[in-house]
This record gives sequence, C-alpha cells and structure tokens, in this order.
Amino acid sequence: MEPTPKAPQNFQFRTGLLLGLTLVVAIGFVVYVLYARGFFEATQPLTLVTDNAEGVSIGDDLSFAGFPVGRVRRIALGDDGRARIELSIPLDGARWLRTSSIFTLEKGLFGSPRLRVYSANLMDPPLPPGSVRQVLRGDTSEEIPKMVATLRSALENIEQLTASGGSLQASLANVRTLTDKLAERQGMLGAVLGSEDDARKVVEAIDRANALLASLGGVSRKLDGMLGKADNRVFGEGGVMDGAQQAVGQANAALGEVRDNLKRVERILADAEAVSGNAKNATADLGALRAEVDASLRKVSGLIDEINRKWPFQRDSEIRLP
Amino acid sequence: MSTARAFVGWFRAWGHVGRFALAAFAAAFARSTYTPITRAAALQQVYLTAWQPLPGFVLFSTLLSLVVIQVTITAARGFGLAGYALELVFRVLVLELVPFVTALMVALRSGSAINTEVALMHASGELAAMRDARVDPMQREFVPRLVAAALSVLSLTVLSCAIALALAYLVMYGFSPWGFPEYTRTIASVFSLPILAGFLLKGAAFGVVVAAVPISAGLEATRDLKSAPIAVMGGMVRLVLALALIEIVSVAVKYA
Repeated sequence: MEPTPKAPQNFQFRTGLLLGLTLVVAIGFVVYVLYARGFFEATQPLTLVTDNAEGVSIGDDLSFAGFPVGRVRRIALGDDGRARIELSIPLDGARWLRTSSIFTLEKGLFGSPRLRVYSANLMDPPLPPGSVRQVLRGDTSEEIPKMVATLRSALENIEQLTASGGSLQASLANVRTLTDKLAERQGMLGAVLGSEDDARKVVEAIDRANALLASLGGVSRKLDGMLGKADNRVFGEGGVMDGAQQAVGQANAALGEVRDNLKRVERILADAEAVSGNAKNATADLGALRAEVDASLRKVSGLIDEINRKWPFQRDSEIRLP
Repeated sequence: MSTARAFVGWFRAWGHVGRFALAAFAAAFARSTYTPITRAAALQQVYLTAWQPLPGFVLFSTLLSLVVIQVTITAARGFGLAGYALELVFRVLVLELVPFVTALMVALRSGSAINTEVALMHASGELAAMRDARVDPMQREFVPRLVAAALSVLSLTVLSCAIALALAYLVMYGFSPWGFPEYTRTIASVFSLPILAGFLLKGAAFGVVVAAVPISAGLEATRDLKSAPIAVMGGMVRLVLALALIEIVSVAVKYA
C-alpha cells in the first residue's frame, strides 16, 4: 500500500544524524557570527561628530594603521544638526586611541567612506570611554565638480584653437606652405629666403667664396715659404743675429775702454784742480787724453753703425753717453 | 475566450496553492498532527529527500561553489578589489546562489516525485479511500512531506553553505591561519542578525514551497489517469516560479 520507495531499517538514525549535523553547523555558525560581531567582547563607546556622515553605514570599521580597531554601531543626527557616529571599540583596540588622536572620514570614488584614526604620540593618556570627538572629512567626489568645471574651460579653449579659422588652423596652413617649399628644388634655403632667385644668388655667393678660399690657400702657402727663408736669414748660422751678437761683444769691450778713459779723465781733472801750477803739462796731457777719448768714441760710433747696419729693424741710431 | 479561461484557471490554481499551504501550515503547527506514524513518515521523507542525494549533491555544490569563488576572487584581484572579493562571495554565493540552487535541486528531484505521487493517489482514488477510512490524508501524507521537504531544504542549504564558506577561506587565504581575523571581520560585516533571520526564513519558505506547490497541483488531477501529467506539468512550472519569486523578494528586501 505504501507508494514511496523503501527506506532501510536504520533510516531514522541516518536522518537524525543529518539533522543533528545540520543543527550543529547552524548553531556553530550563529555563535561564530556573534563572536565575529564582537558579541562576547568588552567594548567602550566612542562618538564621532561630523557635518556629513553620508555613506557611513553600521558595521563599518574604524581603522588604525590599516587594522580595524572599532566598528560603527549607530548613526544619528544630533540636536545641533550634526551627524553623530557612535562606535564601539573593543578594549583590545582601545589602547591605540589616545587623547591626542585625530579621526578622519575619507571618501573615495567607490566603496564606503573609511573612518581612520591617527595617533601620533602613543605616550599620551588613553582616550576615556564615551569620548566625543570631531572628525576631519575628505571627499574625493566633492572635488569632481570643480575638476569638471576646470576641464570644461580647458576643453573650450582647445575647441577655439582647433575650430576652422582658428589660430591653430592658420598656423598649420603656414606650416604646410613651409613644408611644401622645403620639398621644392631650392629646399630649406628657398623656404627661408622666400624666393628661388635669392636662393640661387646665395648658392652662387657660396661658390665664389669657395674659389676665393682656394686661392687664399695658395697665398698662405707662399707666405709660409717666405717666412721660412726669413727665419733662416735672421736666426740661421751666420745670420743677422750672429753678427749682432758679435757686434754687441765688441761694443761691450769698447764701452769698457771708454769707462777706463773717463776714470782717468776724472783722476786727471782732480790732479789738475789740485796742482794748478803744472798747467802746461796738464794741458799737454789733456790734449793726448782727448785724442784717446775721441778715438774711443769713434770706435764706439763705428760699432754702433755696424750694429745698425746688421740690425735692419733698429730705427733709433742715437746713442747716449754716460 | 480560451485565453480568459486559462487566465482564470491560472489564478484558481494559485488560489488553490495558497489555500492548501495555509491548511498545511495549520496542520503542521498543530500538536495533534504529530502522531508516531506521522513522525516516522516525516523522517522517512527526510531520508529520501536529503540523505539519499547527499553525496551527489555535496559534490555538485562543492564544484559550483569552487568555480564561483575562484572566478570572483580572481576577477576581484585583477581589478584590485580583493578586499571586496570575500564580501561578494558571501553575498552572492552563500546568501543567494547556493540556497536557490539547493531548492531547485530538491524541487527537481523530490517536488516532481511528490507531485506525481499525489496526482496518482488522487486519480486512483486512494485519497478518497483514506478519507472513507477516517484517516486524514493531510495528516498522514501531506504534512510529513511538507515538513520533510522544509527540513531537507534547510539541511542541504546549511551544509552546502558551510562548504562554500570553508572553500571561500581556502581559496582566498590557502591553508594559512593568518587570514582568520580578516575573514571574521568580513563575516561580521555581511552576516548581521537580520540577514541571518532572513536567510533562515528564505530557506524555510523554499522548503515549504517545494512540497506545498506540487501537492496542491497533484490534488488538481481528476479521476482520469491522463490528467496526472498535466497536473505535474502545471505544478512544476508553478513551483519554479514560486521559488524564483521568493528569491526576488528576498533580494529586493535586502538591497532595495
């Protein structure tokens, strides 16, 4: 009479096992969820006050250094029109909150806003339970309208530039004529000078300059030869310089003689002054001496003339006597 | 004319389902229903509905979960959204996909069987004979199936969701224990108590519908045996529709 398929004898045990396992898993999961939600944890309350709590939802984390240290429990609008975000901080996480801690609410482009806490000095006294703190707020999406406005004006500028008859179009047309000329026979020169004739003249001028440079090269070669010869003549063996050296040696000797003669003149003049009586002798001696001095001076003069002859560049033939 | 009649018939069928579900509910919550015979029948039905297909179902659900989790986590990592991957897996796979697929599997396997069985019992006059013998078919046949289907769907759902949760941890963190705090935090943010209650309610609704719609459809069969296939067909369509409707309502309540 029983239309259902037959079940084995111990089906009640197996069914009980299955249902029992299900119950254990389900209760275990509920306990795990309660543990996860901090049901078995001692917490301390914290209230954050902000002018806009948009996007914050219950269960959001308060993170410190990237680690969650608390969770949003309730969001309410206070009597002063400011949003109050009530959090519960497990005692384990509360040690990171100090009286000097700063709380921020950062809103990215997507995802829920992130509540963060920064504690610069962990030596400060801990935040007492039930504290009420201000939240600093940063919102990316609020920046977007400003950005769009800026972007729009920039795009309008670009549109004006690129519109037909715009300055960019005119510039591009000029560039095109320039490149067209560059492609012509006279190329870049034609483009720079404007006409083909001028360009040809420049090319001819360059050719002539080249020829001139070639002949200048010949001239400079000849000059080189001449300079070489002059060098030999002046500084070579038996050249002008050698003669000059000898003449200077002779001049030195002559000058030495002149100096001796003059010393003798001084002595004689002193004798003359001292011995005025022997005037006749003195004058005879003076006549001989004068003849010697004249001879010396003539030698010097001859020497100077010889030097001047051998040293053709000397112009000043005057010689000063001491 | 026939369109209008079909429309009215469609409504009458749903009305029939509603009336039957209410009556079955009343009977299921009445203490007097649970005689030892009813209890034994219910346990037997649980055995047939949940225990028998258990190995194959666990294998299937594990494979499905693994694929969905792998795809979700890999894609989320690719987009740099790995922090949201677990939450996505929990919300899509554990809370929606696995319960729905479980209900569909039970509906395909046991719902169709119940539907055919009741239609045949009705057509063969077995139910009328029961009533003549002062045995309430509701108590003897229908309530055990209803309760068993609800328990089976809940049981299979809980087990396959547990597997999916474990797989999500393994795929995300491997065999390392250091992902546990983050995993726990994600669990805490997804599974609030209302969500858990909704999950239980949805599972129970799936379970009840899996039995109630086929039974009421089976009762629509006439004494003619040829009416049985038509009753089964209508019942199965209504069953899948009802399951989809429950899923849609559940998602709408949660996210709308």
